[in-house]
Amino acid sequence: MRGRPELFTSYESDQAPLNTPARRRLLAVLLAVLLVLPFGLTGELTALLATAMLSAVGAIGLNLVTGYAGQVSLGHAFFLGLGAYTAAVLSGDPDGEVLGYGLDMAIWLPAAGLVAAVVGLVVAPVATRLKGLYLAIVTLGLVLIGEHLFRELRFITGGPGIGRPAARLELFGVELGRRTEVAGWVISREMQLYFIALVVLLVLAVAAKNLTRSAVGRAFAAVRDRDVAAEVMGVSLTRYKLIAFTVSSFYAGVAGALLATVTGFVEPGGFDLLLSVQFLAMILIGGVATLSGSLLGAAFVVLLPRLVQELPRVLPFVTSESTGGFLTTFQLQTILYGVLIVVFLIAEPRGLFGLWVRARNYWRAWPFSY
Amino acid sequence: MAANGKRKVAAWALVLAVALTACQSQRAGGGGGGDVKTDVGITSEPCPGSSHADRGCIYLGVLSDLTEGPFRALAVPITEAQKAFWKRVNDQQNGIGGRYDVDIDTYTRDNKYNPEEQVAKFREIEPKVLALAQSLGTPPTLATLPLFKDSDVVAAPASWWSGWAFEDVVLESGHNYCIESMNGLDFAAAEFGKPATVMAVHYPGDYGGDSAAGVTEWAKVNGVSFDAKANNVQTLPNAQAGNQDAAVGAILKVKPDVVMLATGPAEMAEIVGKSVAQGFKGRFVGSAPTFNNALLKSEAAPAIKASYHVMAPWSPFGASDDAAHKAMQEAVGAGKVPANDGYTQGWMWSYPLKAVLQKAFDDGDLTRAGVRKAVGEVTVDYEGAMPPKKYSGDPNQNVVRTSLVAKPDDSAPLGLSVFKEQAAGPTAQQFKFTKPCQSVG
Repeated sequence: MRGRPELFTSYESDQAPLNTPARRRLLAVLLAVLLVLPFGLTGELTALLATAMLSAVGAIGLNLVTGYAGQVSLGHAFFLGLGAYTAAVLSGDPDGEVLGYGLDMAIWLPAAGLVAAVVGLVVAPVATRLKGLYLAIVTLGLVLIGEHLFRELRFITGGPGIGRPAARLELFGVELGRRTEVAGWVISREMQLYFIALVVLLVLAVAAKNLTRSAVGRAFAAVRDRDVAAEVMGVSLTRYKLIAFTVSSFYAGVAGALLATVTGFVEPGGFDLLLSVQFLAMILIGGVATLSGSLLGAAFVVLLPRLVQELPRVLPFVTSESTGGFLTTFQLQTILYGVLIVVFLIAEPRGLFGLWVRARNYWRAWPFSY
Repeated sequence: MAANGKRKVAAWALVLAVALTACQSQRAGGGGGGDVKTDVGITSEPCPGSSHADRGCIYLGVLSDLTEGPFRALAVPITEAQKAFWKRVNDQQNGIGGRYDVDIDTYTRDNKYNPEEQVAKFREIEPKVLALAQSLGTPPTLATLPLFKDSDVVAAPASWWSGWAFEDVVLESGHNYCIESMNGLDFAAAEFGKPATVMAVHYPGDYGGDSAAGVTEWAKVNGVSFDAKANNVQTLPNAQAGNQDAAVGAILKVKPDVVMLATGPAEMAEIVGKSVAQGFKGRFVGSAPTFNNALLKSEAAPAIKASYHVMAPWSPFGASDDAAHKAMQEAVGAGKVPANDGYTQGWMWSYPLKAVLQKAFDDGDLTRAGVRKAVGEVTVDYEGAMPPKKYSGDPNQNVVRTSLVAKPDDSAPLGLSVFKEQAAGPTAQQFKFTKPCQSVG
């Protein structure tokens, strides 16, 4: 409808992913910026943005099960770990000390997602019998079991304090995780990671968007909003909870596999409850049951520590030294996570996405907004 | 219109080109000028806070266990010693060839004795440093070893793993854990009578594995039976295991005459204290990283003083009057002592890198590749604290076979007095060193 962008005459056009010109323009600008950005940044920041985008993949996964389908999961770290180790094993050096098969990224990336998805499918039936606090406890158990397995399966993980190299970025025989020069231009390892992350994020974000605006997405919402009512309407709780867990685990597996490649090394201690909580923080701060919320939240949680690192220059009582001083940057980070989750839950439960909606509505009605 | 369109294209191409060259030139920073070639990690501007306005700056990285890892108590004085060492180089020894000062503060990072953390921190500082003044811990350093080789970064390890002898980018000093174990058991045999059973209690990975490999080798050479399971016990740092009760239980079950320990200091104190309290009568010999003088104030102190000796690659602080030890005393201040003997280790580990940088400067090539090349050409002078050391040629010839035995002593400045001077035991003397005792894993 030319001239009246907000008038939707069909359910389809109302649900279309980019249904207003403003959205289309915003996305185009965002994509253009994302494509050019790494050429102007230091390697460290490029790697950080890659981490943010890959965390966003994981956050979208958690948002599907927790935000859209309403099933609280503290077990995300376990699935991230599964993905990381599946990828590391499949791509690892066959002659190394730890298990490895030397396979290509075209195999290990989907496999990392699939293995996590299958495990998600296996544990999901437990989850379908439970909800709320009980479900949280069960998924918490999952993280603890995972931690133990990762610690003890030394032929796979290398064991605590030792670790193993992460999956190698080799796609169709082309080595990606290495500084290369193309026609005199240096393409750093970080940039390659960045673009891999961007592509994976785009593909999986579009897939998630399509899932949530389909019948499955509406069923998720029905289960979340009132499970009894959903069942009365003929929405199979078991079926949709299974789907939610499986898809969410797939996303976590892919994210875990690629996140590990950013540092290039995996240590089993990293897949603990704290990691799960970080991902919960991403969707709570970003915005529950929104795709853009997952992206914003992931970017926020990943970039926050880097911002805090800059604080000592501004605030003299914060010190970057590891010991001494009134408040170290590490302590401040931990405190900030907690404070931000509390503030968002109380002041803006819709998260960063909610703040954006408010700002948007304010300016849309300007100068008559009140 | 067409011209306008072309101009647009040209403008965008220019923007892109500028952006690309900006990223390309990130690495080619610095250049000290003159006849010395430089690339990464060197600037012609003076170091931050330097009083030598006419000198450029060589940036060295430090990856150490500064906050929460098992070796933090040792790592902090190790890092302090290295700061003092390079300050002495800058202020009293004319820097590197009078042209460069050395800065290790700007890129000091905490690796938490965690390989993943180490890799992340190394990736962060790698584009800005010439070499590493310290890379603490065997497993963390091993995790970054392929990266060191890829980017020609030479590192001084804070670790005595035997495998470093086979790596040109790692500048090890003193004995390795493997030979340390042999010397420790030879010492125990000479001092307390030949043991009928020995045991290795150690961290997993290459620090502990190396030490245990030395114990295994000693048992084989000396005809002492050694069960690869019962007499060879792995234990984790307290941060992961919670306590050392399992290791203590294993010791009490086997009742060996001598236990060779390769853990962190707190874990050593717990193992010795609890074993002795529960009636264990054997001796303990600890690898160099197991001791911290603060333990002499812990409740395990009587047990440690009664039944524990610690190996060392060189004399503890204040226990020798060679030039190196005098310089350390001067750096700390007359009559003062550092927090613990980590200080001595940090100081000694710094000599090789100084020699290598000086050699690379003399060759007119302070690039990464030039520094790496210089490693094979130097003979390191430890100012009398150790015999001179080379990194070229046969590791079996270059390897240091001597160790010193120290004993916890309340009256010594850092709680350690020399019990037996530098010597190579018979087992270490005949040992054929052709590969790392414990291979990479």
